[in-house]
Amino acid sequence: MITFDLYVPGDSPLHRLDPRVKLLLLAEGLTAAFLIHSPWAMAAGLLVLLGLLRLNGVPLHLLTWLWRQMRVLLFFILLLQPFFSPGGGVLLAWGPLRWTSGGVEAALYLALRVLLMAYLVAALLFTTEQRRLVQALVRLGMPYEWGLMLSLTLRFIPAIYGLFVTVREAQAARGWRAEGPLLKRWRGYLPVLVAVVIGTLRQSDQLTMALAARGLGRTARRTVWRDLRMRPLDWLALGAGLAGAIAFAALRGIG
Amino acid sequence: MPPEAIALRGLTFAWPTPPEGREAVPLFRDLALHLEEGAARTVLGASDGGKSTLCHLLDALVPAYTGGELRAERLEVLGLDLRREIPTPAQVGLLFQETATQLFTTSVEEEIAWGLEALAMEPQAIGRRVEAALTRFGLAGLNRRPPWTLSGGQQKRLALAALWAQSPRLLLLDEPLGGLDPQGRAEVRAALEELRAEGATLLATAALDRLAPWAESCLLAEGMLSPPRPLDRWPKQALAEHGVAVEDAALERLRGAASPRGKAAVELRGVRYRYANGVEALRGLSLRIAEGEMVALIGPNGAGKSTLLRHLNGLLRPAAGSVRLFGQETAGRSVGELAREVGFLFQRPERQLFAATVREEVAYGPRQLGLAEVDRRVETALVRFGLEGLADAPPAILGYGRRRAITLAALAALETPILVLDEPTVGLDGRGWQQLLAWLTERRAAGTTILLATHEMALAATADRVVRLEAGRIAAQGEPAAMLAGEGGR
Repeated sequence: MITFDLYVPGDSPLHRLDPRVKLLLLAEGLTAAFLIHSPWAMAAGLLVLLGLLRLNGVPLHLLTWLWRQMRVLLFFILLLQPFFSPGGGVLLAWGPLRWTSGGVEAALYLALRVLLMAYLVAALLFTTEQRRLVQALVRLGMPYEWGLMLSLTLRFIPAIYGLFVTVREAQAARGWRAEGPLLKRWRGYLPVLVAVVIGTLRQSDQLTMALAARGLGRTARRTVWRDLRMRPLDWLALGAGLAGAIAFAALRGIG
Repeated sequence: MPPEAIALRGLTFAWPTPPEGREAVPLFRDLALHLEEGAARTVLGASDGGKSTLCHLLDALVPAYTGGELRAERLEVLGLDLRREIPTPAQVGLLFQETATQLFTTSVEEEIAWGLEALAMEPQAIGRRVEAALTRFGLAGLNRRPPWTLSGGQQKRLALAALWAQSPRLLLLDEPLGGLDPQGRAEVRAALEELRAEGATLLATAALDRLAPWAESCLLAEGMLSPPRPLDRWPKQALAEHGVAVEDAALERLRGAASPRGKAAVELRGVRYRYANGVEALRGLSLRIAEGEMVALIGPNGAGKSTLLRHLNGLLRPAAGSVRLFGQETAGRSVGELAREVGFLFQRPERQLFAATVREEVAYGPRQLGLAEVDRRVETALVRFGLEGLADAPPAILGYGRRRAITLAALAALETPILVLDEPTVGLDGRGWQQLLAWLTERRAAGTTILLATHEMALAATADRVVRLEAGRIAAQGEPAAMLAGEGGR
């Protein structure tokens, strides 16, 4: 069964860091990735991040897995982006389309930036349990019902995907074949989607009742078991993050 | 006189009027039910007969979440009038038939904590209560496991633990022993016995007499509940007529329908298979099944039964070794092509229906394969499974039992020379069993080759040969009588 859970169980400092602090650091990291223009700084940031993840117990195969997921996208960025950002000498021309040295450079930067951002987001997901992430969002002001909805979605997506696979198999077992024109083949998917939607609706009806039966919304205020609590290390990381942001802003102000 | 946990009298209920042409038949008619605090009772009833609805009604989920018309002289649970008051989870706990839906968090301990948070219990007390519940239901050590990775029996126990932690005074258990393999059934039965011993008030449902947790049973039929009676005081024949029991005669007929063997229909040679996660499910397995033979695969969960079956129609391909049907290699032939020879019944097949009408659903396979006489096949199959009156209804709106019947009809219409069935009886009521057995009897007598995986020794005992798998290999095989001697009979 597939899951959308990238969490790597562990007890490293990065794992233990309060998810609210991690969310802040992520926001800072993403902002910086947007604002920094030096490829060297971005590459250095990426290397530091990868080193940090390895030191905090994220296995190498997961880091390379993300690379494999990203490389097609990166390839297309490198291929297509130069057309949209001309500048510098022409390297290749094909009709009105031109590959320029400036364009290639811009594409390289963009690819690097996208990669850095992907690893930043993954760093959060690799080291944070879904439950704690949702808890953090709720503590930062998101209504509890939204948080519940988010975790239910994450919880049931694999089940829905599983249902999709099951119905496809059943169709094949009753004679469905990947033949004929593409359009006809795609139409074969339609009934599958119908079955999946019906299955999902049936399940969500049940789910609504199950939540009610277990007491959703029965008290004005829920209590929270194992609530998030900031510890000295969290405050330290928060302080460092803020200081870094201020320093960055000041440097950019001067530069 | 002890206080009443449940007091229903003169209860009539009908679903909201369905769209054009379908009349609203009341599900319950003048239904009565009384249960004293501290007592335990089973409600026996066939699929689609209203067992789940009754449970939902007693927890005030019906009609609040479903609509429908309800009238009652008396409708009280623990002294609460359900027409005005909704019981809290600290009063009534409900174990859903589809337990997986009830487990909506991402770890075992959170599942239990969730309900306590909803009741606004003090956080310090929650931790202690969670541990107590885990220990109580034999789940200690599984704290961080995602619920969906647990076995069926463990999932039911987790749901029970989560309910129990909220300290309900009445537990409603919708088919607590249904859909489980024998081990899961034993686990849950033991957990329920303990609750019973502690004096809990329990109302459970069952679609099959063997799956009744408690002998003291009412029969739900035609919208009414009979007065309670111990199970052994019900004549088996009456239970079978109401679709909640299987008569031994039906199994005997299947056993007696053996037909002469022909040449090899299925031949596996040295089949190996390893899943992407590294689990080696089949480790050099060879099996030959003759035309007209019926073989039952038995063995513990994870022995490789489903993996083996999936090799027969190409859903899985051997990493080494070969699979032949009637002497022809399956390699190079798609699942869709192999469907001509192999009719395949999946586990939980009722989730796989996709067509707009029952007729289209049944016709799908024959049409895809371009078979002759599609209409004749479809009509025969519809009549065979009592669906002719529902041919134009959408399968999606029909009840569970009907949807199971449709999956059999869709399979029957293919009229394949080989039938492969993966746990065909799981979740069936007595009527479903009878339909399945009657159809298999007919096919077997006609010379169809049948291979099925089952945990039901009564079904395995009807086969020509029983093959026991263990850890991806054949551990033993032989005549049912010899093979099943040590399996605890039925």
